[in-house]
Amino acid sequence: MEKIDEQFAMPACINAKSKPSLFCPGCGESMILKHLGGVIDNEKMQTKTTLAIDIGCTLLAWNYFNFDIIQTHHGRSVPVAVGYKMSRDKRLVIALMGDGGAYAIGLQSLLHAAFRNNPILAIVINNTEYSMTGGQMAPTTIPSEVTSTSPIGKNASCFGPAFHGPELVRQIANPNAYIARGSVSNPTILEKMISKAIKNQIDGNFSMIEILSICPTNWKTDAKGSFEFLSKLENIYSLGEIIKNDKKDN
Amino acid sequence: MTKKTTKIVLAGEGGQGIQTIAKILSLALEKTNCSVSYIPQFGPEQRGTPSVAFIQFGDEPIYYSQFSTADILVVLRKRALVSIDRFIGPKTEIVFDSSTIPRRIIQQNNKYVFGIPATKLAEEKFKSKSLNLIVLAAISKRFFDYPKNALWEIVEKQLYKKFAKNPEIEKNARDAFDFGYEFELENKNYSKAEFDVASGIIIKKNTQRTAVIIPKYCKGCGICIEKCPVDALSFGKTLGVFGTPVPEIDLDKCIACGNCFRYCPDSAIRVVKK
Amino acid sequence: MEKKFITGNEALVLGAIDGGAEMFFGYPITPATEILEGWIGKSLEDKNLQYLQAEDETASGFATIGAILAGKKAFTATAGVGHVLMQDPVSMAENERLPFVGIIAQRGGPSTGTVIYSQQEVDLAALGGNGDGLRIVYSASNAAEAYELAAKIFSTAWKYRFPTFLLSDGYLGKQKTTSEFKKPLKPYPSEKILKESVEKPVHLRNCFGSEEEFAEVLKKNIADYKEIISKVAECESYKTVGAEEIIIAHGSVAASAKTAIDELRLEKIKVGLVRPITIRPLDCRAMLSVLRKAKRIYIIESAFEQFARLVIYKMPEIADKTKKMFKPAQGISPDEIIQLVKNNQ
Repeated sequence: MEKIDEQFAMPACINAKSKPSLFCPGCGESMILKHLGGVIDNEKMQTKTTLAIDIGCTLLAWNYFNFDIIQTHHGRSVPVAVGYKMSRDKRLVIALMGDGGAYAIGLQSLLHAAFRNNPILAIVINNTEYSMTGGQMAPTTIPSEVTSTSPIGKNASCFGPAFHGPELVRQIANPNAYIARGSVSNPTILEKMISKAIKNQIDGNFSMIEILSICPTNWKTDAKGSFEFLSKLENIYSLGEIIKNDKKDN
Repeated sequence: MTKKTTKIVLAGEGGQGIQTIAKILSLALEKTNCSVSYIPQFGPEQRGTPSVAFIQFGDEPIYYSQFSTADILVVLRKRALVSIDRFIGPKTEIVFDSSTIPRRIIQQNNKYVFGIPATKLAEEKFKSKSLNLIVLAAISKRFFDYPKNALWEIVEKQLYKKFAKNPEIEKNARDAFDFGYEFELENKNYSKAEFDVASGIIIKKNTQRTAVIIPKYCKGCGICIEKCPVDALSFGKTLGVFGTPVPEIDLDKCIACGNCFRYCPDSAIRVVKK
Repeated sequence: MEKKFITGNEALVLGAIDGGAEMFFGYPITPATEILEGWIGKSLEDKNLQYLQAEDETASGFATIGAILAGKKAFTATAGVGHVLMQDPVSMAENERLPFVGIIAQRGGPSTGTVIYSQQEVDLAALGGNGDGLRIVYSASNAAEAYELAAKIFSTAWKYRFPTFLLSDGYLGKQKTTSEFKKPLKPYPSEKILKESVEKPVHLRNCFGSEEEFAEVLKKNIADYKEIISKVAECESYKTVGAEEIIIAHGSVAASAKTAIDELRLEKIKVGLVRPITIRPLDCRAMLSVLRKAKRIYIIESAFEQFARLVIYKMPEIADKTKKMFKPAQGISPDEIIQLVKNNQ
C-alpha cells in the first residue's frame, strides 16, 4: 500500500509544497495541470521537462511542479520555449497559456512556431474569457456570452464569433504537427492527447493541445453549472484531433 | 494633533463577503455627509488570498487610500490575520470572529478586543451565506450607532439582484442582519474557535477501499460531489482551507470509480481499491 | 593587434563571436540588419553558431531569453522601434536578473524617424521598460571599440546578471575604416540558469503577490547593482591634462570631439574630452576628478537632453558650468564642435 501523505492524491512530479494552490476553487486549469503531471509521471519525463508559463491565471503555476518552470510575459511563453528548445533540444519543452496568450497577444508567435514546426508543445487553456483580470471577453468568447467587457453578451458582428484556434493553426502547421482539442470533461482522453503530443515532440515536431476548461469564479457557476456550460462549449468547439481543411472553393 | 480620519481595515477569506461589507459600510458613511475613501486590497489572484478592505472617513477630503495604523480592525479568519496584523496599533479596536479565531492569537496587550462568533451564528442560525451581514450590522451599531433601517436600505440596494432570485434569501438576510445589529459583542468569555480548518489527513477504510481526504487542500468547489456517479459524497462538517465545508464519503456506496480523484483540481481526495 | 578594413557592424559580429556568443535572434531593421546577416554568414562557416530570424523583435527578445535560460550566450541586435518592442523581454530579464545581451544601432526617433543615425536611444537602453533601469549600457565610438565591447558585454552580463547593452549607431555600423583590433580577454563562462534538477527545481517568476514581497526583490537587485558600479563603470579621458574646458560626449560624437580637440589644441585652446564608455552606470568618480578642475564643460549629443540628464543627475555640481549642444538625430561634425568651443572663448 502506498504511503498516505500530502502527496497521496497527486502525481509525484507535482510539488506538494505549492498546495493549497492559488487557483480558485473548482479551477479547470488546476485539473489540467494535475493530468499533465500524471502523463509526465507515466512517460517518466520528469527529469526531462521544462515548462514556460504565460501571464494570466497560468502564472499561478509558477511552482506547481518538481521541475524547472519559467514564468514569462503575456503571450510570450511560446517564443521563450522556442529559444530554450533550440538550445536544449533533448528536453521536453512545454509552453502553457490561456485564451489571450494564445489567440490575442500571443497569436503571432504561436502561428510562427507552428509554421516553422518548432518542436515545442503548446498547451492552451480555453475558458472563453480572460480570467485573472476579472473575466473579460476573449476571442474565444462565444456569441451572446456575457463577460465583464461584453456585459450584454458578445456581439459577434462587432467582435467576431467563436475563435477556433487549433483549426487556424492547423492550416499553416507542418503536416506532422499534432494538433488537438480536449476538455476537462474527459480527463482520460486528455491524458491520451498529451501523451501523443509528447511523442510527437520527441519525433521533432510542433504539438498543440487546446483544452476546454471551466472557470466557476468568472462564469459565476457552481460545480453543476460549470460542467453544463462546458457541455455547451463542446458543441461549438469540437473535441478530438484536428485535421487540415483542404477543401477549395470551385 | 487632531485625528483627521477614522481608519478601518476589514479582512477575511475570499468569498466571505468582506468587500460587500466594505462597500455597504462606505456607502452608509458617505450618506452622513462626510468624506469617505474605500479601496480593496488587490493582488494578481482572483481567489485564494485573504480579502482585505481599507476604509477611511472624516470631515476633510481624503486623497490617499493607504495608511499605517487602523482605528478599527475587523478580522474574520485566522489566515487573514497575517495580512493585516501590521495595522494593529496599541489603540486599535479589534473585532474578530471568535468562532474561527482563538482570542489568544490576537494582540494580547490591546484593550479593545471584541468577539463575534459570526461563522457559528451563520452556520447554525441562518442558512444562507449571511455571515457578512451579521458582521456589518454589529459593527455599524457598535462603532457608528448607525440607524438600522437606513442601513438596511443600503443593503437592499446593493443586494437586490440576489434578493430578486428568491424571497427566502431576502428574509434570511434580514433575520441575520437584525440579529447582528442586536448582538452584544463579546468583551470576555469569548466563544470557542471551533470553526477552523481541519488539520491532518482524513482516512476512511473498509474491507475493499481506502478513502483519503485532505482538508487543508480542499477548497469546497463541490466538483467531486457533482462527478460522483453513486452519490457517495456530500458536504460534511469539517472545514477546508478557505473555511468551506469538506466532502465526506460513504464508503459503502463508493465504487472506487476514480472520478473524485480524476476531477479534483486540488489533489484533495482519492480512493484506492485494496 | 590585427589590422582590418571592415565596417562597424562587421566588427560587432566578430566581437560577439570572440566574446563567446553562440546564438543570435533578430529581426531585420536598419541599421542593424548587417549584424543579423553577418552572423548568418558566419554560422555557415561554424556549426556552433545558431540563429533564428524571428517573427518580430518581441519574439527575438524572448527567444534570446529562452536560450539564455538554457545556458547559451545568446543575444539580439536591433534599432529604433525594434528597440522599443524589445523593452517587453528586457523588462522580464531585468526583473529575473537574466544576462540579456543586446546591440543597439541607434537611428533617428521617435517612431520610424530616420534609418540613419542618432543618440536618441540612450534613455531607452538605460532606463527603458517598466522598471528602474538596472541595466549596464556601453557606447562604442569606433569599430575597434565596437569589436572589443561586443565581446565584453557577454562577460559583463554573465558575471553580474543585469541586462547589458552596447550602443552603436548607423554611421558607426556602416562606416568602413582601417582599425587595429585587440584580442579580447578570456570570456567569462555562462551556465545553465534552469538547472534541470528535480530535487531542487528552479522556479523563476516575475509576478509577485504583494508590495512587501516584491519590495524585497527590488531591494536586493538595487543593492547588487550599486555594488557592481565600481567594477563595471568605465570612462576615457582624452587630452584632459591642463585642460580648462572639457567636453563630455559618448559614441560617435566623442569620436568627432576627439578630432575637434586635436585641432583646437593646435590653436592652443586647452580643451579635453571625458568620454563615458559605460553611460550607465557612469564612472562618476573618475569623471569628476577631471571635471572639477574645468572652468567650462560642454555636453554634446545627437539627442535632446538624454545623455545630459544622465550626467547631470549623477554629477549635479557641474551643472552651473555646463553648456549643452543638442542635435537630435543629426550627426555632429568636428567643425561644429570647434565652432561651439570657439564661440565660448
